[in-house]
Amino acid sequence: MALKDTLKARWFWYSNLCVLCWGGWALLSRLGSREISPQTMQFLFTIGTLPVGLALLMARKFKMEPSPRGITYALLNGVLAGIGGLALFAAYHTGSNTAMVTVATALYPMITVVLAVVLLRIGFDWFK
Amino acid sequence: MHVPPWFWFALVTLLCWGGAGLLQKLSTNHISAESSLIWLVVGFLLLEPFFYPGKSIFTYSSVNLAWALLSGVLNALGAWALFAALKSGGKASIVAPVTALYPLVVIALVPFVLKESITPLQVAGITCSLIAIVLLSA
Repeated sequence: MALKDTLKARWFWYSNLCVLCWGGWALLSRLGSREISPQTMQFLFTIGTLPVGLALLMARKFKMEPSPRGITYALLNGVLAGIGGLALFAAYHTGSNTAMVTVATALYPMITVVLAVVLLRIGFDWFK
Repeated sequence: MHVPPWFWFALVTLLCWGGAGLLQKLSTNHISAESSLIWLVVGFLLLEPFFYPGKSIFTYSSVNLAWALLSGVLNALGAWALFAALKSGGKASIVAPVTALYPLVVIALVPFVLKESITPLQVAGITCSLIAIVLLSA
């Protein structure tokens, strides 16, 4: 019954779509990086994200929350994620094992947890 | 011990994305997840002048240029799907570990698409990392 409910739930299918999209993103990043330089890959990658960003903006009828703090954090998030993306393309460009690079870089929540404990003083969960 | 070049690049990615993960959390304390994604794209755009390839872009094959563009589309679509999963009633404690398993798609497809193989030791390392990814995302 629980499995049936899960299979019917929209969140389950959205989660699977996310896994497929991100898996496809990593694979295509590797394919493109065989020839294209990391800088150009990051340049083109950003252009690729624009249609989705614009679609979201249009769906919200161009209404955004006027929170300078929230916007600043999100912009910095984009800059850091972009630099990280550039390094990822560089790692793929070296011709290394794709699975190893993808799995190694997917461990980034480890750094987020450490930073959250140190900077935000959140409680440390020994399970983590 | 010889450390391969990809390791250092992957380490930079790990540190940057780790910091980005924290900033994402902080931004969504003030604005919605969708707005956060829109501003994230604007953040990407801020870097564009530094990566502008000029005429050298025409030296690459159109197939590889298409892969690069499509990788951006898929990444943003994946982020949208994650937010949609959370908005449509998915618990973060379940959705986050599930979506963090995207490397499995790569591991499954790489032998066929790129004809790459992995050693038993690498399999052990990948398995440990995948367990860590799920535990960290929970």
